[in-house]
Amino acid sequence: MRWAGAPRGAWVTPPGGRALLPYVPRVPPAALPGKLTATTFALERPCCVFDRHANASDTIWLAVAFANASAAFRNPPSRADVPPYEQLPTAHSYMTLETAAATYACSASSPAVLRVGGDTVCGGQGGRDPCNGPLPSPGPYRVKFLVMGCHGPKAETRWSDPILLRRAGSPSTIDPAPVRHGSDVVVIASILASLGAVLAAAVLCAMGYGGCTGPRSGGCVSLPPSSIPATGSGRSTGMIALTSILSILFAVLLAGLVAMLFFSGA
Amino acid sequence: MAKSDDGICILQGPLVFGNVVIGMCGIALTAECIFFVSDPHGLYPLLEATENDDIYAAAWIGIFVGFALFALSILGIVGVIKSNRTLLLVYIILMLITYAFEMASCITAATHRDFLTPNLFLKQMLERYQKSETVNNNDKWMTEGVTKTWNKLMLQNQCCGVHGPSDWQEYMSAFRMTHSDADFPWPHNCCVMDAQGSPVNLDGCKLGVPGYYNSNGCYDAISGPMNTHAWGVAWFGFAILCWTFCVLFGTMFYWSRIE
Repeated sequence: MRWAGAPRGAWVTPPGGRALLPYVPRVPPAALPGKLTATTFALERPCCVFDRHANASDTIWLAVAFANASAAFRNPPSRADVPPYEQLPTAHSYMTLETAAATYACSASSPAVLRVGGDTVCGGQGGRDPCNGPLPSPGPYRVKFLVMGCHGPKAETRWSDPILLRRAGSPSTIDPAPVRHGSDVVVIASILASLGAVLAAAVLCAMGYGGCTGPRSGGCVSLPPSSIPATGSGRSTGMIALTSILSILFAVLLAGLVAMLFFSGA
Repeated sequence: MAKSDDGICILQGPLVFGNVVIGMCGIALTAECIFFVSDPHGLYPLLEATENDDIYAAAWIGIFVGFALFALSILGIVGVIKSNRTLLLVYIILMLITYAFEMASCITAATHRDFLTPNLFLKQMLERYQKSETVNNNDKWMTEGVTKTWNKLMLQNQCCGVHGPSDWQEYMSAFRMTHSDADFPWPHNCCVMDAQGSPVNLDGCKLGVPGYYNSNGCYDAISGPMNTHAWGVAWFGFAILCWTFCVLFGTMFYWSRIE
């Protein structure tokens, strides 16, 4: 209630001497595909937020807590009491990204985002150094910045909105089947099938017409009529049988192809 | 009699012309199919791993069919000019068999092209890229093929994943088993590389800052050559078959009328 009427940007002093800054940490609004992954997230770098409260010797920490544990988080009274990264599963919170206050000054030119969880080599040794290790679960998490001086915390920002990390699905849910066959396939297959069937029928007709009734006299090669040999009906019958068998085989092959097409398409 | 002789002899010219065209098209089909089988884009390992490489089978059939068409067209020309019934009958029968094979090749290429969807390559990439525990030799061979092909694709085409880098975030993958999400939100081949082959700005790439990573997907680079391959085999074969149909029809008619 005391702080409800405060002008924007002003700070008020709660009991205990710690300033509560109105800045709310947030995930950058820019469309960066890597700003939220399964174990890391990015934060907008706070610029010009701590200038009035931090000296050059102060450090600014980032406190990360599970969203349901943020209300229970107590600021550590000194640097030695800072909860390390390894305690996240038990204490449900930790502090990391210890940086000098000058890095967040107005005049500093540095990258516009901070990446939480990007360091995979630290952690696990039980040391007290701040570790920016990957987050073990999707969260949701809440973060706030804390200005720590020689005698303890001097200022803090508000808690952020809950940040939920990505959960990856299983590739077995991907269905690789095609939606439906294109119309091109149907066109090609139907036209080819009909052409093949017509050819098979034409072969049978030609055999029947040209074979049984005998060849017409005369050809396109200039030979004297006496040299035209008499046709042997036995030879043409054998030929007819052979070509009929081949045509039937061909028609069966054709039918099999069409069946395969429609069976695989169904 | 003489009239029908002249009538049927007029057919000789178009038949010879038709066979010449068939011969040339046969050579062209062989050359085109050899080009496709040689896999200039290096995408065959992806198809091999899907166990659905029938468009390559269609191209192999196309090579032999093209050569057969060329040989048979010569036989046809000789048979038409000499008006030899036996030669023409052999020609017709062998052409029908070649026709059937080419039909199979066309329909196979056209049908199996439809199976090459983005989801097929996505699933394969997620399950095989950089997979560390392989079950047997075949699995190992396919995994190595897929990994090498994807690495080459991402570097040469400046792309990442099938739809984009978010593929690696949306789904679990074999890659994720051996590479931590914090260090490798996506493979480092998705980063913009300098002349020495290392990322220009690795932190920018991990965050997805424009200019330091490849934001577009590789599906276009995969489906473009495969579409060309499948449609080249299918439609050119279809055109040859339509032409061959007319020539065969004319030849059968000619055969039934000559001595």
